[in-house]
Amino acid sequence: MRRPFEGQELTRQFDEIGSKSLPLVALAGAAIGFVLALESRSSLVHFGAQSMLPAALVYSIIHETGPIVTGLVVSGRVGAGIGAELGSMKVTEQIDAIEASGVNPYKFLAFTRILACILVLPLLTIAADFCGVFFGWIAENLAEPVSFQRFINQGFAGATFKDFLAPTFRTVVFGLIIGLIGCFQGMRTKGGTAGVGLSATSAVVLSSLFVILADVILVKIILVFFS
Amino acid sequence: MIRSDQQILLDGETSGAIPRTETSREKHDVPAMVLRGLHKSFERQIVLDGVDLTVKRGETLAMLGRSGTGKSVLLKLIIGLQRPDSGSIRIHDQEITRLDLEALNAIRKTMGFLFQHAALYDSLSVEQNIAFPLKRHTKMTASERGDRVKQLLSSVGMERDLGKMPSDISGGMQKRVGLARALALEPAILLLDEPTAGLDPITSGEINELILKLQEEHDMASIVVTHDLQSAKTIADRIALLHEGQVLIEGSFEDLEKSDNEFVSEFMKRDS
Repeated sequence: MRRPFEGQELTRQFDEIGSKSLPLVALAGAAIGFVLALESRSSLVHFGAQSMLPAALVYSIIHETGPIVTGLVVSGRVGAGIGAELGSMKVTEQIDAIEASGVNPYKFLAFTRILACILVLPLLTIAADFCGVFFGWIAENLAEPVSFQRFINQGFAGATFKDFLAPTFRTVVFGLIIGLIGCFQGMRTKGGTAGVGLSATSAVVLSSLFVILADVILVKIILVFFS
Repeated sequence: MIRSDQQILLDGETSGAIPRTETSREKHDVPAMVLRGLHKSFERQIVLDGVDLTVKRGETLAMLGRSGTGKSVLLKLIIGLQRPDSGSIRIHDQEITRLDLEALNAIRKTMGFLFQHAALYDSLSVEQNIAFPLKRHTKMTASERGDRVKQLLSSVGMERDLGKMPSDISGGMQKRVGLARALALEPAILLLDEPTAGLDPITSGEINELILKLQEEHDMASIVVTHDLQSAKTIADRIALLHEGQVLIEGSFEDLEKSDNEFVSEFMKRDS
């Protein structure tokens, strides 16, 4: 951790990874919340437990759907972006040029991207969660009018701080995975434009795969330590 | 305390800095780069097979050779982007093949490198590209940095293109910006990888004149890898021809023209 701290590049990455992923993540969260509310309602009505819908929706979105959907959407968008950008820099000798000027390319390129992914993923997940809950309420409201405040009160009635802590920790790990794999695949690119395409594809495939695997492992660990 | 030139020279050797106090004649006798017995191969393909070269301070060496003979690899070995399989590379009398990254970066700061396709950072503007090494290796304020960038761009005739992105300028302009970036830290050694490749004859001529002008101004030791014989004749003090992994001949342009060696005469004839 030495000067310069590459604040300019870090800010650019916050914008690239965070701001520009927000619309897609929000849309995915909204769609999941809406569909989940519609699907859950018919099942809960069947058992006479439709009053549980807000709590069920909030619990499933915050615990699982929000983090994993955000992780997978960002894997696709950002993983490919980092893999392609660094791959293109590699084949056009821009990474060599950084190294030749006495600057550590891993600090300038990889560290900034990985840190941005780690910090941005929890924030994007919060946005996806909010959109999911909000559109879940809209879906519920279409079937049976209920105020948003009441929906939220019912939804978060049994929630504690631990319910937010564990999913946030998971999204930090997802961010680390996406950043690491994107940078690794990008910086080892070989073979011109074909190699860039290959790096982008493998960055998406591997980061999605590892996000899913990490989700499975982390859910188990979280259940052991937090429940 | 008055220090002798010898003492300053020794201090320069230990710190990797360039002693600046010798007389002009002495200065040009001091080798900036000494390469001995350099070997480099990729898998089974031997690229460099015992290259010996010395480039003195203030001298420009043009490196000629057929495509794929390892000219660009040689430049990458000198700046430490690749490691030789064996052999010695001494820069400012310091062996660089065994240096750790930190020490190597200190040496790299005394060297400028122009890549074959300029390798400008495409997410940064022309101004930011040139300011990149200044921001990281000097204590200049933002305004001092801005002045230095303008001065460098002015020296390559690009002062009006400060805010443009690399994708918005031509190949020749990119080479000029790359050259300005290579000169940003006032290097003692300049490595140019095909500075005129892919450019039209007029732009090539302009780049050659620019290199000559900058060499006169900055008095650097330079290695210019080129396929352009006319360019080599214009800008180089000495020419080396790389063939089958070794320096086949070294001398002035006239020496190469007069050579009896079959490959050398064939190379000079075909290229001209």
